[in-house]
Amino acid sequence: MIEIKDLHKSYKMGSNSLHVLKGINFKAEEGELVAIMGSSGSGKSTLLNILGMLDEADEGDYILDGVPIKNLSETKAAKYRNKFLGFIFQSFNLINYKSALENVALPLYYQKVGRKERESKALKYLEQVGLKEWAHHLPNELSGGQKQRVAIARAMAAEPTVLLADEPTGALDSTTSYEVMDLIQHINDQGNTILVVTHEEDIAHMCKRIIHLRDGIIVEDKKIEQVRASQYVQ
Amino acid sequence: MFNRDTWQEIWHSIKNNKLRTFLTGFSVAWGIFILVLLLASVNGMQNGFYKQFNDDATNSIFIYPNATSKPYGGFEAGRRIQFKNDDLAFIKGSYEGSYEYISPRFNRSVSAKYKQETGTYTIVGVSPDHQLIERTLVESGRYLNKRDLQERNKVLVIGKQVQKELFKDDDPVGQFLIANGLVFKVIGVFSDDGNEREESNIYAPYTTMQQIYGNTDQINMIAMTYNPSYDFTRALAFSNTMEEVLKRRLVIHPEDQSAFFINNYAEGFSNIQTFSNFLTFVAIGVGVLILIAGIVGIGNILIFIIKERTKEIGIREALGARPIEIVKLILMESIVITALSGFGGMLFSMGVVALISPIVDAPAFSNPNVDNTVVIICTVVLILAGVLAGLIPSIRAANVKPIDALRAD
Repeated sequence: MIEIKDLHKSYKMGSNSLHVLKGINFKAEEGELVAIMGSSGSGKSTLLNILGMLDEADEGDYILDGVPIKNLSETKAAKYRNKFLGFIFQSFNLINYKSALENVALPLYYQKVGRKERESKALKYLEQVGLKEWAHHLPNELSGGQKQRVAIARAMAAEPTVLLADEPTGALDSTTSYEVMDLIQHINDQGNTILVVTHEEDIAHMCKRIIHLRDGIIVEDKKIEQVRASQYVQ
Repeated sequence: MFNRDTWQEIWHSIKNNKLRTFLTGFSVAWGIFILVLLLASVNGMQNGFYKQFNDDATNSIFIYPNATSKPYGGFEAGRRIQFKNDDLAFIKGSYEGSYEYISPRFNRSVSAKYKQETGTYTIVGVSPDHQLIERTLVESGRYLNKRDLQERNKVLVIGKQVQKELFKDDDPVGQFLIANGLVFKVIGVFSDDGNEREESNIYAPYTTMQQIYGNTDQINMIAMTYNPSYDFTRALAFSNTMEEVLKRRLVIHPEDQSAFFINNYAEGFSNIQTFSNFLTFVAIGVGVLILIAGIVGIGNILIFIIKERTKEIGIREALGARPIEIVKLILMESIVITALSGFGGMLFSMGVVALISPIVDAPAFSNPNVDNTVVIICTVVLILAGVLAGLIPSIRAANVKPIDALRAD
């Protein structure tokens, strides 16, 4: 599903260059739920951004669902992002003047799905995250947990191959965090591949595999016994 | 291009950003408004100028005799110049085709009497051509004609003012007026658009007047109009050669500036024309500057809008919006806003001009008006230029890496 080989990335900071990723190799199969861990500056977010085609690697190969991702034009990258990837951000990144329903429907708009179908699909995914009644509310009328669930519904709406979550619980309290993780586990149970960047141990242990990054290289990659989040949720 | 979704996006974004929508719209509408008022003002000034010169035919030339200032050809300085009938005939014969109408003037002040009413007026002896030179309007009766001239008829065409003072409510046409003891028949009443003093004058055939007052062939002044197809340069050349030839004929020093005066309206008109061309030029210049200011304003606001929306652009890109869709999103919105407010401003300002135009009628400022085509062209140019000004920042915004756009705040 995801395969990266010898991935390098450095940032220019004036005359210095900061080598962030120093040769990353890993594979993720379909249906996996992978936590990418590491302290800040370890390169975990950079890795996720490259996987999400929001950023480009300097060196190395990235193959997503059999498609090599390299030297894409912005138009092509947009097309691939739309087709392959769903994003969940720490700060939710909802468009604040659009209702929950319109936010969820937006990736479908860029897929050129017709308006009726768009709305019914968006409503279906809002129902899955338990926010059907909130469909016509604006983001600022929702709580943090609700916002993140809208964002998850939006990421799911385009039915992507891989879901990428960058600190999805970073802005939430622990109860809400577990609710969100419960949702992510459910989505994974349906067979979706999900990568979660986090620095919280308990969140990482709710995944099925943990990759540890330190100073731009993978120092540990292990399968774990998944902790179900549902036991913490009333 | 403009489906329901696009409209909804635009409407959403306008509704949620009333201030920036207002600012963009206002700067466009204001630019158009100022431009229209400017064009209208210049037009009003031009109208005012032309109106002031509208009293006589715009191609008039008047020749007044005076006295010489230089001794010449055996004559001493200070000799009075006197035009005569054969001078008039000479001009007629020499400049066939260069003049349109020509008439002498032979003035005498008279005391006129009708029934109990008396008054002092100037009778101007003229030829029928004079009507067209002076732009005299015949209100009732008729003007002088060729037969009056040949038969030296004692007929008068009186000004409206004369009618008011002497005839009160009587219809003067067909009545007899006694001037300096001689009986004249009134054949017409005239008015003069540009000049009310003119309306206290009385016109008579100059032949009649010359016979009555000393059986002379002298005339006081020559009035004519030059060929209307002449431009100013040619008209001035005509009066200049005529001046030279007349000086030779009347034995006047070629450089004597005071023997007689030729007043050619072309001179004044060419000055006015130059001035009014200059005004138009200034108006166009200022108009272009206003348009540029408007364009810069729109560009500025668009840059601000794009900056404000960078994060949203990043989100959209992450969700799969292609760069072209980002450009479209921003441009469509700005096109809609600039077009609506541009045409709004245009209609409003044209409405204002149409409203005040008939009211304003001062001597130097009259009926300000605008050419609709010019205004429409300016509006379209402003809208197009605004769109172009927005194109550059929006393309740049669309090409920002999504990761950088998402980090913006």
